[in-house]
Amino acid sequence: MIGRRTLLAAAAAATLAAGPALALPQLGQPAPAFTAMDAAGKPVSLSEFAGRTVVLEWTNSGCPYVGKHYNSGTMQALQKKETADGVVWLTVSSSAPGMQGYFTGPTARKWAAKEHWSGSHILLDSAGRIGREYGARNTPHMFVIDKAGKVAYMGGIDDRPYEDPESLKGAKPYVAMALADLKAGRPVAVPTSQPYGCSVKYNSAD
Amino acid sequence: MRFLSGLIGLVVGALGVLGALVPAALAEPEPGPHVTATLVADHAGVAPGQTIHVALRQQIQPHWHTYWKNPGDSGEPPRLAWTLPAGFTTGDIVWPTPGKLPVGPLMNYGYEGEVLLPIPLTAPATAKAGGTAHLAAKVEILVCAEICVPETKDIALDLPVTTAPAPADPTWGPKIAQVIAAAPQPAGLSAAFQPKGPNIALAIAGPALKGVNDAKAYFYPASATTIDHAKPQAIERGPDGLTLTLAPGYDFQGGHAPAALAGVLAVGGRAYEVAANPGPAPPGTSGLGPPAPGDVAAAGGAGFGLLAASVFAFVGGLILNLMPCVFPILAMKATSLAIHGGGEERAAARAQGLAFGSGALVTFVVLAAVLIALKAAGSAVGWGFQLQSPPVVAVLALLMLAVALDLSGVFDVGTSLQGAGTGLASKGGLAGAFFTGLLAVVVAAPCTAPFMGTALGWALTQPAAAALVVFAALGLGFAAPFVAVAFVPGLLARLPRPGPWMEVFRKAMAFPMYGAALWLAWVFAQQTGADDLAKLFAAGVIVALAAWLAGLAQKRVALGGRAVGLTAAAALATLVAVGAVVWPKDAAAELTSEPYSAARLAELRAEGRPVFVNYTAAWCVSCQVNDKVAISTGEVRSAFARHKVAYLKADWTKRDASIAAELASHGRAGVPLYLVYGRSGGDGVILPSILTPDIVVKAVEAADR
Repeated sequence: MIGRRTLLAAAAAATLAAGPALALPQLGQPAPAFTAMDAAGKPVSLSEFAGRTVVLEWTNSGCPYVGKHYNSGTMQALQKKETADGVVWLTVSSSAPGMQGYFTGPTARKWAAKEHWSGSHILLDSAGRIGREYGARNTPHMFVIDKAGKVAYMGGIDDRPYEDPESLKGAKPYVAMALADLKAGRPVAVPTSQPYGCSVKYNSAD
Repeated sequence: MRFLSGLIGLVVGALGVLGALVPAALAEPEPGPHVTATLVADHAGVAPGQTIHVALRQQIQPHWHTYWKNPGDSGEPPRLAWTLPAGFTTGDIVWPTPGKLPVGPLMNYGYEGEVLLPIPLTAPATAKAGGTAHLAAKVEILVCAEICVPETKDIALDLPVTTAPAPADPTWGPKIAQVIAAAPQPAGLSAAFQPKGPNIALAIAGPALKGVNDAKAYFYPASATTIDHAKPQAIERGPDGLTLTLAPGYDFQGGHAPAALAGVLAVGGRAYEVAANPGPAPPGTSGLGPPAPGDVAAAGGAGFGLLAASVFAFVGGLILNLMPCVFPILAMKATSLAIHGGGEERAAARAQGLAFGSGALVTFVVLAAVLIALKAAGSAVGWGFQLQSPPVVAVLALLMLAVALDLSGVFDVGTSLQGAGTGLASKGGLAGAFFTGLLAVVVAAPCTAPFMGTALGWALTQPAAAALVVFAALGLGFAAPFVAVAFVPGLLARLPRPGPWMEVFRKAMAFPMYGAALWLAWVFAQQTGADDLAKLFAAGVIVALAAWLAGLAQKRVALGGRAVGLTAAAALATLVAVGAVVWPKDAAAELTSEPYSAARLAELRAEGRPVFVNYTAAWCVSCQVNDKVAISTGEVRSAFARHKVAYLKADWTKRDASIAAELASHGRAGVPLYLVYGRSGGDGVILPSILTPDIVVKAVEAADR
């Protein structure tokens, strides 16, 4: 038994050494737990939101796809509406130091003020730990966790994988739809979609 | 945002000037544009109704990239919004096989450096020749290094509208053609996927993947949500294909599976379209283990050295003797040796054996040298490359037919019993034996023996010297049985005693050769078409006639007469036959036409154009004759162009109720039927069933009044 565990640990170490791979959370399974500092310097854990619906939004302030949703105000409008409804909205930055969109507490707060960001917390994940746990590929890459703590949605914020702001017109708002389904007690009709945007700027050296 | 990023670009650019003074803490990229986009065309112009290719040419800054149709884990393919003259249409982008662009733990698919994205462009039949088509597009390209920058550009191309199809553009014609030829092709692959533990096993089989062995084989999925792009793809080889183990993407979440898994398989320097359905793996896609690292052979076994390859080649050469295209010739030659007993005649038999052996060996080595030279020149060739050329296949088919006729006793050449008997010791006999060796190798080309493919597949990936050694081993193996019979007295003595049975045996041996000739004709038909097959058959009849004439001449000579006339006639007939199949086709063969439909006819008539409708069928001989002598001629071509005649073809080769009804409405039960509709309306004028160019030209002139 010990031998087997050692073997597994060795295998895990080998995987890490071979290159940082992304995990893939499973739909309908418990969402991976995490704790991270937020922009205000306060530790935030997923577990403290048990019983509430949680949205995870990956961001990068320099990414044109993030810009599409913030410049038009659609992202902030959804944040405002959902947090007013009791949803916890966590905006995660996994950009590594020196990479585009890297946040420290002050730069994150400055960005939030400038963009009129309206979520619950901005999480500083510059080591990319949460990002890798969730297999976050893009900014914006979206996840919805239901009240039971299970993954209910993962993918794009809508069905338009384009940078062009014109593409917002008539887009299917998958995240808003998933949240509406959860509120109404329905199964989420579209539980996955193509995540799109810039790549998450992980530190590629680790 | 775009204005802002432009502004930032400017500021960064200005900062760059001060770069010498400021430490490079901010690793901001060079100012844009990071990609230059232009529009190019493969032809110097476009004719009404013609489809050509234009291409979006992207010149990408070093270290930056743009994306494939599935960009992978992030990014976006270029998008074009066209503004085209009325009636012009564009088709789907022909996407070249992308490269893998890993970014940290993610994987992107795209292009670096310079890339052409060809796009079909069709001019409407109504386009005005002599004018210029202004093709404009707004193109949005996301170009990324570590960061991404969207770049929007307005690109345009002015293309002359020409009366006749324009020549290829000297610069872009060959380049675009090359991109299209190298783009992923459908190859009739059968593919299926099924769960394999937490992963998906995608099994792909097909003739193109026989013996595939490439450690770099890779499946590019067409959709971004089917597989996890960044995960390695484990490869398992099989005799007829391979199995890739893929990590599932979002489409497999929640216990679901997509209805199909489509994409591109890049393997052995080529790329094929793959469309897999859920289900068990096709046979022959596993069992041979993973390819060794560094193996890149499209076909053939790798992983063994020169010695093993030479042994395989030798054994392959031995077995090649038994193949239906070779055995009859060799069997006859070998039995001819049996006639000779001992003493001086044995020495003669040895000389014959050696002459045959050198003939075979020299031919193999020459063939190998040509093959290696072609490969070095960049052609994708393999064993049997000569059979990819239809004229060579046609000549081989006729040669097989001639050998078969010889075996049937229609005529005699040196390989025959009598010839071998009389000329064994003579110089002519030795030359004959050498020639037999050469002939045997030439006719062996269509046959591949077991072991041979593996050895040659290996040889063709090796340096020239090693490849020549393997080919020489093949030649030695091929020549060995015959040489052995000539040299080993015991073997010669063991050959059956000559007798009347040999004549029966010889005639029976003709049938595998007839079979080989027919098979080559079938190959030829695949390469060309029914029209050319008809030519080959005609040539075959002429060759048979020539063989019979030669036989007559030989009989007359045998009886002490002279037969110069007959021999000359036979030679002439053979020349005609070979010439007919090898002669290159004239480039301007058929007049371009559109397929007929009642709707298209009404449309063209509404446009006020004269219309020529040709009701025809492949099996209708008079239709074909009319087409060759009257319609597809220069006079008619220029008359059609002059009067802007639309040419519609109603093809009745296969049963078609609507065409039958049309024929009946004009009081006809069959084809041909030629109708000319005037520019100013009215009923169609029926032309005679036997056409001349003059009749067509006059009818067209009348129609334009």
